Amino acid sequence: MDFSEFLLNNLEQFWNLTGFHNATWQHFVMLAVGLFFIWLAIKKNFEPMLLVPIGFGMLIGNIPFDTTAGLEVGIYEEGSVLNILYNGVSAGWYPPLIFLGIGAMTDFSALIANPKLMLIGAAAQFGIFGAYMVALLLGFAPDQAGAIAIIGGADGPTAIFLSSKLAPNLMGAIAVSAYSYMALVPVIQPPIMRLFTTKKERLIKMKPARAVSQNEKIIFPIVGMLLTCFVVPSGIPLLGMLFFGNLLRECGVCNRLAKTASNALTDIVTILLGMTVGASTQASEFLTAQTVGIFALGFMAFIIASSSGVLFVKLFNLVLPKAKKINPLIGNAGVSAVPMSARISNNLGLEYDPSNYLLMHAMGPNVAGVIGSAVAAGVLLGFLA
Amino acid sequence: MKKTILLLLLVVAASASLVSAQSRRNLRINEIMVLNDSNYVDDYGRHSAWIELFNTTHAPLNIASVFITNNRDVLNPDLEAGDRKALMYAVPLDDILTKIPKRQHVVFWADGRPTLGTFHTSFTLRPGEENWIGVYDSDGRTLIDSVTIPASLEANHSYARKIDGIDTDENGKKLGAAAWEIRDDSKEFPITPSSCNKIRETNDKIDMFAREDENGFAMAIMAMGIVFTALLLLCVCFYIISKIGERVSTHNRAVSQGTSRAEMPTEKRKEHDSGEAIAAIAMALHEHLDAHDRENTVLTINKVKRAYSPWSSKIYSLRSLPHK
Repeated sequence: MDFSEFLLNNLEQFWNLTGFHNATWQHFVMLAVGLFFIWLAIKKNFEPMLLVPIGFGMLIGNIPFDTTAGLEVGIYEEGSVLNILYNGVSAGWYPPLIFLGIGAMTDFSALIANPKLMLIGAAAQFGIFGAYMVALLLGFAPDQAGAIAIIGGADGPTAIFLSSKLAPNLMGAIAVSAYSYMALVPVIQPPIMRLFTTKKERLIKMKPARAVSQNEKIIFPIVGMLLTCFVVPSGIPLLGMLFFGNLLRECGVCNRLAKTASNALTDIVTILLGMTVGASTQASEFLTAQTVGIFALGFMAFIIASSSGVLFVKLFNLVLPKAKKINPLIGNAGVSAVPMSARISNNLGLEYDPSNYLLMHAMGPNVAGVIGSAVAAGVLLGFLA
Repeated sequence: MKKTILLLLLVVAASASLVSAQSRRNLRINEIMVLNDSNYVDDYGRHSAWIELFNTTHAPLNIASVFITNNRDVLNPDLEAGDRKALMYAVPLDDILTKIPKRQHVVFWADGRPTLGTFHTSFTLRPGEENWIGVYDSDGRTLIDSVTIPASLEANHSYARKIDGIDTDENGKKLGAAAWEIRDDSKEFPITPSSCNKIRETNDKIDMFAREDENGFAMAIMAMGIVFTALLLLCVCFYIISKIGERVSTHNRAVSQGTSRAEMPTEKRKEHDSGEAIAAIAMALHEHLDAHDRENTVLTINKVKRAYSPWSSKIYSLRSLPHK
């Protein structure tokens, strides 16, 4: 072999390693989806904090390469950098850290002032179990159905946590589906809210919530954690961290910790979580008929969750005195897309009555939805793991 | 300060040793073969009696310094620690293989030749006789688990727990010998050294849901019930807490005013001040008092103190100029 032949052989080997040689049409589809997510985030401002990392992660995860070459670069190749970062998703420790941040960011005052709004957060979880039933009908096994159905909780970290335990092979599709629909909440929910409410109901003005004392705010995370975790111990990772974060915020003596949990820590974990979830959508694993089914089920779960929240408020109003009626426009906020769905309640309320601010009322079911979806995830984990 | 740190370290060390001891107490004898003619073979190609231990926890468990014995004399409580330990085989330290992964097994060869390796005990079992086996914690005094193998156990048959590590029924009642069975390596009673006694090919719970709850109604109703119960509990709890809070604040107000709670005016404000009302009052006050005009002419100088740190000092990051 002369030197020119040797060089040619090396060039050929190099060509075989390049993305151009290994690309398939599936890779280009996934790259297009990644670009679409980035476009949605930047141009349409749909959940940019999530969709930019996920979209770019999709680009990273779908660069074609020779998986048999042992380059240790793919997210599913043990020992690769991406694989190490992906451990937080596959072993399920990113979601509880995100919940710590959510707890440290969330003001539960609206819920404490009007505890009955918690029931709206519970009712909206019917989206999860409605989707579970449909998933079973479509032929998914109960554990897979449970993992897919959690998309209806509208809670990305919870969906990742549960799917990593019940159906790890579907986790990429479930996570992307959950985050996509969370970003599309402003598009999905308003038509449902209009469909199930009358104009008269949309004009209901609720009394401003009472002031909540500092003691109540401190007691809430402690009692909340003890009660919910005693009922559903399998929800400890999520509920424990959520309420711990909230205690840091409300106790008043851990401001530095609360600030770190709600800012730096949440930002770091969000970056890693979003990017690795995006990168886990490798075309070979992701582009299947099952993924299409998961997206369809996720969409349906969102619709059922939003509808059941609104319908529950209407039902609840039948037993409430006239002065304490609840505006059903806050029912959609029972899904835990915080604070997006509460903002939608507020915007829709203002559309029909410019002096009817529903934001603080809607925050009650919204944060109850976070607790409710974590409890629902704990129940599914307890039953199906 | 030093005392606090020392106390903290002591607490951490004590809890670490407690956790380790507690987890070792979850070790179970799982399966035993007394006479092995043609069954499992050790690393030296020999058939010997074997004892399988099972880590029932969901965490790795290091069994180094645990004692295994078949000598009933150790049951004598008056025995000195040294004498007691001499009657048992101590699992050696410093062997990474003594760390049993979660819910996994390890097999010890009861061949009386501990020099062959960590998993070869210093004692042998006696075929045709009743054999007692005990596993003791590192203190040599705390019995972790024990079992008596019937004398009737035939060659190449094992004495195994029906379900790995389980010695109680659903109600927590000790099963004793009823938790065990004799296995003859038939399809129904397989001998399973170093693997699960009850082989699970599928998840029973999922199978049951798939079979009995095809439509998912039972799951939906049950799970929604639990979600509602959890949040309802929280709701009721906070309703009660807010009522108690109200009473306490009324009581405190009464105490500060030198009256009793009963004498405090019970009349409540009919409605809270709305945001609009508060905004209107604030604007009216602003208009009336013209409160902020003076501030326009006030110059406030805040002293800004930047703490010096050598780590951020530029002189440490610049190279010194070369001497000419």
